[in-house]
Amino acid sequence: MHTSYESINSGSAKILIKISAKLEKFLEFVGKIGAWLALPLIAIIIFDIISRRFFVLGSTKLQEMEWHLHAALFLLALGYAYLKNSHVRIEVIRESFGTKLKSILEILGVLIFVLPYTSLIIYFGLDFVSRSYQMNEVSAALTGLSHRWIIKSFIPLGMGFLWLSGISVLLRNIVYLISLNQKDAELEKLTKDISPELRSPAEELEIIKQAQKKEIA
Amino acid sequence: MDFVTLLPVFMFLSLAILLFSGYPVAFVLGGVGLGFGFLGMAFDVFSFIEFFNIISRIWGGVCENLILVAVPMFIFMGTMLERSGVANDLLNCLQVLLRRVPGGLALSVTIMGTIMAATTGIIGASVVMMTLLALPVMLERDYNPSLATGTIAASGTLGILIPPSIMLVIMADLLAISVGTLFLAAIIPGLLLALIYIIYLYIRTKLNPQLAPPLPDSMGPKSNAELWLMIFRSFIPPIFLIMCVLGSIFAGIATPTEAAAVGALGSIVLALFNRRLSKTVLKSVTERSALTCAMIFGIFIGATAFSYVFRSLGGDDLIHHLVDSLGLGSWGILFLMMGMCFLLGFFFDWVEITLIVLPLFAPILATLDFGTHIAPELIVPWVAVLIAVNLQTSFLTPPFGFALFYLKGVAPPSIKIQMIYKGIIPFVILQLIGLSAIISFPELVMWLPTKLLD
Repeated sequence: MHTSYESINSGSAKILIKISAKLEKFLEFVGKIGAWLALPLIAIIIFDIISRRFFVLGSTKLQEMEWHLHAALFLLALGYAYLKNSHVRIEVIRESFGTKLKSILEILGVLIFVLPYTSLIIYFGLDFVSRSYQMNEVSAALTGLSHRWIIKSFIPLGMGFLWLSGISVLLRNIVYLISLNQKDAELEKLTKDISPELRSPAEELEIIKQAQKKEIA
Repeated sequence: MDFVTLLPVFMFLSLAILLFSGYPVAFVLGGVGLGFGFLGMAFDVFSFIEFFNIISRIWGGVCENLILVAVPMFIFMGTMLERSGVANDLLNCLQVLLRRVPGGLALSVTIMGTIMAATTGIIGASVVMMTLLALPVMLERDYNPSLATGTIAASGTLGILIPPSIMLVIMADLLAISVGTLFLAAIIPGLLLALIYIIYLYIRTKLNPQLAPPLPDSMGPKSNAELWLMIFRSFIPPIFLIMCVLGSIFAGIATPTEAAAVGALGSIVLALFNRRLSKTVLKSVTERSALTCAMIFGIFIGATAFSYVFRSLGGDDLIHHLVDSLGLGSWGILFLMMGMCFLLGFFFDWVEITLIVLPLFAPILATLDFGTHIAPELIVPWVAVLIAVNLQTSFLTPPFGFALFYLKGVAPPSIKIQMIYKGIIPFVILQLIGLSAIISFPELVMWLPTKLLD
């Protein structure tokens, strides 16, 4: 984010939006790590095919590595996708809502859905991982990978990142409501710019169109 | 019936209502699952420790699943083909090849939709891509806007059911049938639909050439050598790639996951070959694919939580009971399911519909019996293809038509929604013809898989 928050008048708004932006930066980093895993995933599958067809090597380890990477890929990207507003919504009614109502619903959504749901999965997920760790769980296949707890811990980890992204979205929406309350047009524009969930589908499509034009040019 | 037995009904209703708040589907699913788990605890029909099972389900169903690895790979392949301009080049090449045929550009768009099926994972994204690529060109050539938009919406959605299709991978996984079988089952119906689009477009533009003015003869390369070069650069490689991917699955050489990775690698090679592979492109492709994956598997996880609680509260039994009490018989039940999917398709993309509804249908499917119309072991793939075609039709049907909404969004303001409606209606009729053909003649679906897999 290259946005400067120094010009924000309200002290609390400044702190909240800074935390939100820090979280976003971190989650973007994590999400991109997940995204790049696609390349080693391709490489491993191709290597697996070649080695099995031509050299007849046992490849249980490789095959297990494949779904390990697949799981890590989407679990790491879950939270980042929420910040980018990539999780699909039913827009039929929502598109007629005003931005303020959207913002309020987003806050309620984080509080009612995301935070409790992720907390529960994290709680039982940690239990799930610790059981695996304690029994020193390995692959059911003789020649499979060991240390199952490592990949299992990506479930609570990914949900933890989703929890954090919920907090980040929550904060930026609170700041948006503050800006409306204080009639601070500058802050309102700033928060709306960093919050894709407040854009209308039309604005979103306009952005896609612009990006496409830039690419062609 | 008392309140507690009806809990699953309330659970489903709450889900339906809350989804319309416009909050992300993945989180509403998870949140409603959790909420009704607690409600079940209050009525002593659910216990806290049962939530642990949800984690095991997520683990077994979504993570430790080699079949689903095909999904990120196909998404990567599709995104790469689009971003590296392969799709665009293919459209240009088809235009040149078909420049003397009536409605050549419309036919090119249909053929591109069929070949580039892999790029069309999610309806919204695929229709947006097709519209941005094809609509400006068609309008520039004075195509009738209704004909142009109808062609784009229909061809853009056709890709969800032509293999390689991530929807079919997920359907096969949920219904516990092989991906290869379902791919094979969908080929003839998919190509049949493409063919009837082409026949319709050809006849319509032949009868009324004003709808689709022919392209200038001077268009495209001057010499034959240049033309062949163009074909070799833009036409052969993507077709070869898709053929490799599908062929290796059907020949039993590769699993769908392996074939998908070969496709992903192939898409990188094609981008390199076209000199379009840069760090920026690679970065944007990996990121966009990861976001799409996160979206799909986010819903997968949420739906896992939801359906576990739903089942635990007796939802499955309730549905069985309900379906039995209707006394519909197999055909009645089939049409009921199809009707439900059709209605849901007005509001939801296939991701939500397959992940939420298909697990509910699966046990009912096992009880269906169509006598000599179709052999019992072939019912599941047949119904899966029917649902796929049905959903595609639903995405196109006005006034809701999910695909039309996206098309309108990226079309220039001069395109009015009425024009889009007018253009899509013939295609909806064609879809219904195709759908009835597949219902009446299950051989269209089952001939290839039974022939090739025996």
